[in-house]
Amino acid sequence: MDNLIRRCAAASVVALMMAGCGGGTQPPAASSAPVSPANAVTEYPRPAKPAKSYRIGVSIPHLANPHYVGQAYGYIDEAQQLGAQITLLEAGGYEHLDKQVSQMEDLVASRVDAIIIAAISGPGTVGAVEAAVAAGIPVINVNVMTDSDKVVTRIRSDDDVIGRMQADFMGERLKSGGNVVMLRGAPGTSWAEIRGNAFRQQIAAKYPTVKILGEQYSQSTPADGLRLMEDFLQTFPQINGVYNGADSTAVGAAQAVVSAHKAGSIVMTATDFQIDTEKFIRDGVISASVLQQPVTMGRWGVRAAIDYLEKKSVPPVMFTGLMTATKDNLGTLDLATVRAPAGWTPPVR
Amino acid sequence: MPAVIVGLAIVFGAINPNFWSVTNLANVSRQMSILALLALGQTFAILSGGIDLSVGSLLALVSVVCAQRMKEFGLAFGIGAGVLAGGFAGLVNGLIIARARVPAFIATLGMLVTARGAALVLSGGLPIAGLPREFLTLGAGYLGPFPIPTVIAIVAFALAHVILSRTRFGRYVYAMGSNEEAAVLSGINVAKYKMLVYITSGLFAGVAGVILTARVISGQPTLGEVQELYSIAAVVIGGGRISGGVGGVWTTLMGVLVLGILGNGLNLVQVSSYIQNIVIGAIIVGAVWIDLARERRQ
Repeated sequence: MDNLIRRCAAASVVALMMAGCGGGTQPPAASSAPVSPANAVTEYPRPAKPAKSYRIGVSIPHLANPHYVGQAYGYIDEAQQLGAQITLLEAGGYEHLDKQVSQMEDLVASRVDAIIIAAISGPGTVGAVEAAVAAGIPVINVNVMTDSDKVVTRIRSDDDVIGRMQADFMGERLKSGGNVVMLRGAPGTSWAEIRGNAFRQQIAAKYPTVKILGEQYSQSTPADGLRLMEDFLQTFPQINGVYNGADSTAVGAAQAVVSAHKAGSIVMTATDFQIDTEKFIRDGVISASVLQQPVTMGRWGVRAAIDYLEKKSVPPVMFTGLMTATKDNLGTLDLATVRAPAGWTPPVR
Repeated sequence: MPAVIVGLAIVFGAINPNFWSVTNLANVSRQMSILALLALGQTFAILSGGIDLSVGSLLALVSVVCAQRMKEFGLAFGIGAGVLAGGFAGLVNGLIIARARVPAFIATLGMLVTARGAALVLSGGLPIAGLPREFLTLGAGYLGPFPIPTVIAIVAFALAHVILSRTRFGRYVYAMGSNEEAAVLSGINVAKYKMLVYITSGLFAGVAGVILTARVISGQPTLGEVQELYSIAAVVIGGGRISGGVGGVWTTLMGVLVLGILGNGLNLVQVSSYIQNIVIGAIIVGAVWIDLARERRQ
């Protein structure tokens, strides 16, 4: 199984699209929740519209990243299709765990029918999730995992595969050897942990000539990516590759690489596909990005909530698909599951 | 100010009846307890003519120390270590302000940055998970109908009230804030009592940090961003004078209630979190403005 998955991940770098292959078998890091990805569901069709109009509360880390705007669109559009109402709360960033916990409590107090959470912190949201469940409100976990095992289902990308896909891309490009730095993303989130660890493992296992010089966690913003990359470029004169757990840091880091006149000579990989990422790929600054499907995550979250409320069975783990974007395939990507329609703005609460 | 609070509560309750539900009242009071504890410490600092900008990042430092010691030595030791870490940082603040005579604004600004850095260094930037489940009770449990954080905050208010109104330390806090020179001339050991002020503020931040750690049942080095500003806002909204000498436990309680009810109520009546910031900012300035206007008329 293990081998098969590795090959599957490697193949997907070349392939345009990989709709959620079986999944990694590496146990997730300490701060991420126990899941059994091996039998994850990778298709989840829309259920019939229920007779009742359900009220669903959604708590996400922030909306400063287009990834979450796409996800918000998924929640709201799907809810419209299924006659549900969404209360969308954003905490203002990965540093505001206390705010997310309070927002969860407020959702419980306003008696929504179900709560969907993308967790700012794995361990930090356990109390809030379990309080909601204890109050009789089912919790659906989307995208970023809580450590609580009381959730109805977990819907996310196979983050392990995302890390391995970046490692394979990097490893193939730097076959003759090279130095890599890692911008891991927000500390304590399941995605930063799982992707970064998978990247490290894959590099160590398959590409012994590639050396990882250093890694940094930061808030997931372009400003942090810019600052960290500038400092990395000062610290290590010989950098050949940059891993990014999210493209929010990558677009900042790309700016630093351009300023240092090293665009194109450093292999940059990322996750997700905001407009700036697309531009940097077109310009040859970012070499490849693994695209998640945040719109699909949002849709499946609402479907799972409604299925559960309608007393239908809900699979415990679901993986939304992945794609790889490179300069060569930019025109051919179907972005309907990746981005909100142009001009759409989320109705924030 | 009490009229404003009642008004807010009536408006929120009319729009969303859930505002008055038992779950939500427990909610509001639980969410307010952290701010209440920080604001109580801030009350001592501001009353004495100073300020404590470090309380927000102390939450993070306390959280990390509490979680790490708890994993090593158990529940009680972790809680104690957390509270003492707050007190120790307060002692350092006090030494720098009272002995080295660095202005409180600068000294505690330094601590704001240093404590955040220390929290990140000690934790390696990562959250500390795996705390005992019983610890969650401190953040989420109940004593009768009251959430435990609420009970702790109420006890803290009573304690602060007794200190400020019944003890020599309390009288000297007001004296230093009204006129520090006069306090020195009348023989008050200003250096000593200033130290006590910042230790007190640190200890309150320590208790707040431990409760917040229990709420998120993990040590978190990123907790408490901008909480110092909200604690200052709570003190002045209720009528505490920013330059010291005027105010106390009651005015701070009013400020905490306004901010707490606003935060929760605006969520419940579904006001956008972006607009919430504008509303809260306007209320901070408006409340102080009305207060000053009334003072001038008298």
